Amino acid sequence: MTDFLANLDTLLLWAFAGCAFVSAALMLVLRQPMRVAIALVSCMVFLGGVYGLLGLHFIAAFQVLIYVGAVMVFMVYAIMLLDPRDESGGEKFSKLLWPGIIGLSLLAEALAVGYWSDLPGAPRGAAGEPFDMVRFSAAFLSEYWLHFELTSVLLLAAVVAALAVIKENRRHDHG
Amino acid sequence: MIADLVISLVFIGYAISVLMGFGTILTWVERKQAAVMSDRIGANRAYIRIPGTQVKLVWLGLFHGMADGLKMLLKEDFKPRTYDWYAYAVAPWVVFTPVLLVFAVIPFGGSLTPARLWEPLSAFFGDKTWPMQIATLDAGILIVFAFSGLTIIGAMLAGWSSSNKFSLLGALRAGSQMISYELVLGLTVLGLILVYGTVNLDAMVRQQSGIVLGFLPAWGIVYQPFAATLFLAAAIAENKRIPFDLPEAESELIAGYFTEYSAMKMGLFMFAEFIEIAIIGALFTTLFLGGYNLPYMSDAGFAFPGGAAVAMPHGAVVVTQLGTFLLKVFLVCSFQILIRWTLPRFRYDQVLMFAWKFMFPLALANLCVTAVVVWAVRS
Repeated sequence: MTDFLANLDTLLLWAFAGCAFVSAALMLVLRQPMRVAIALVSCMVFLGGVYGLLGLHFIAAFQVLIYVGAVMVFMVYAIMLLDPRDESGGEKFSKLLWPGIIGLSLLAEALAVGYWSDLPGAPRGAAGEPFDMVRFSAAFLSEYWLHFELTSVLLLAAVVAALAVIKENRRHDHG
Repeated sequence: MIADLVISLVFIGYAISVLMGFGTILTWVERKQAAVMSDRIGANRAYIRIPGTQVKLVWLGLFHGMADGLKMLLKEDFKPRTYDWYAYAVAPWVVFTPVLLVFAVIPFGGSLTPARLWEPLSAFFGDKTWPMQIATLDAGILIVFAFSGLTIIGAMLAGWSSSNKFSLLGALRAGSQMISYELVLGLTVLGLILVYGTVNLDAMVRQQSGIVLGFLPAWGIVYQPFAATLFLAAAIAENKRIPFDLPEAESELIAGYFTEYSAMKMGLFMFAEFIEIAIIGALFTTLFLGGYNLPYMSDAGFAFPGGAAVAMPHGAVVVTQLGTFLLKVFLVCSFQILIRWTLPRFRYDQVLMFAWKFMFPLALANLCVTAVVVWAVRS
C-alpha cells in the first residue's frame, strides 16, 4: 500500500502521458472535424495533467486555459457554424500530400535533433525552489517574450493556411 | 502517506456532498423563494406518508427535490438519431464535470490538525496540519478559469450534435455569451490579484482576515466594491440564468442547446446549472467576502479592532469556519435567486452589447485605476 502510494505520481504521470498520446494519435487519424476537435481538447487536458504532476501548476493552468479555454473554444465554434458535414469521402489524401510529407519529415528531423541534443537546463534560480508565479512572470517577460510573440505570428500563419485549404476545397466544389 | 490519502478522501467526500447538497437544496430554494417573493405558498405537494398511518410529512415541500430526481431517473431516455452520437453522449459530462472540479481549489476552511481535535487521532495522523482545501495549488484562481472554459465546449457540443435548429441556435448563443462574459470575469478578478499580489485562493482568504481603516474587515468587497458587482453580474451571465438566459429562452428556443436531451441527461445540465450557482457563491465568498472566516477572525480566534482578542480552541475554529463558509455561500446563492426572480430578460443583442460596450470598458477602467493606486501605495 505504501509502495503504491509512493509511486502514485509516476503511475498517474504514465496514465496521463499515455492518454495524451492516444488522443493525439486519434486527432491525426479521425476524419470528422468535430471528433478531431474533441480529441485535440482531450489531448490538451491530459497534457495539462502531465504538467501539473510535474509540479508546474501554472503551466498546467495556462495549458488548459489558453489552448482549451480560448483556442479550442473558437475551433469548436467555427466547426459548429460551418458544419462541414460533407463526407468528402472521395479522396483519401489531399492534393498537398507531397508538401505534407516533406513537412512531416522536416518536423521529425527537428524532433530527433532536439531529442538527442542535451536538454536545456532548468529555468534559472536556486535548485529546489518552486516554480511559482513570481519566477514564472519574471522568466516569461524577460526571456520568453520574443518566443511568445513569434508564436502569435505562427498562429496567424496557421489561420491563413486554414483559409487557403478551405478555399481550395470550395473552388474544387464549384468548378 | 496514508494519513494524507485519508484526509484527501475525507475532503473530497465533503466537497462532493456539499455541492450535491447545494444542487438539490437550491432547486427547492428557487421555487420556495420565488413563491415567497410573489406572495404564494410555493412547493408543498410532494410528501412522504408514514406507512400504515395518514400522517403526511410535507416539510415545506423539501421532498420536491427527491421527486424531481426520481422523475428524471425513471423517465424514458430518449435518444434522437443524431449526426454524431459520440459528441451527443459526451456533451452533458463535459458540462457537468468541470463544474465539480472547480471546487477542488476553493478553500472551505482554515487549517485542520486532527491531533488537536481529538487526542487519540494523533496516533494515526501525527501532529501534521492540513489546509482545508482539496488541492492546494499555487495557481488557484487560474485553475478555476481553466476549467470553466471547458463548460463552453460542452454546451456547444450539445447544441451542435443534437441535429436540431433550436439546439444549434441555443449553442451559438451560449458560446458567444460565455466567451464574452468570461473575459469580463477574468478582468474583474485581475484587479483583486493586483491588490493581493497572489493568485493562491487560500493566501487571498488569509489576507482578508486583517483589518483596514482601523475597523473594517479587509474583505475584497471593501477594496474592490466595483469589481465585486461586475463579477457577480458576469458570473450570472456565465451561468446563463435570467436575466441572461437567452441560450435557453423558452419562448424562442424551447430549451436551447439541451432541447434534445431527456431524462437524467437533461438532469445533468440542470444540475450543473444549480451547482454552478453554489460555485459562484463559493468563489464570490472566497474572493470578496473574506472566505471561511468571520470578520476579525483568523485560525487563532477573534482579534477585534479595539485590541480585544478571544482565543478559541481548535475544534471550535474548525466548526465555525466550515459553518461560516456554508452560510456565506448560501446567502450569495439566495441573492442570485433574488436577482433571477426580480429582473426581466434581456434581448440577445443587448446581452452581447452589455458585455462588450458596458461591462468590458468598466472592468478595464477598474483594472487601470487599481493598478495606479496599487503602484502609488506600494512605491
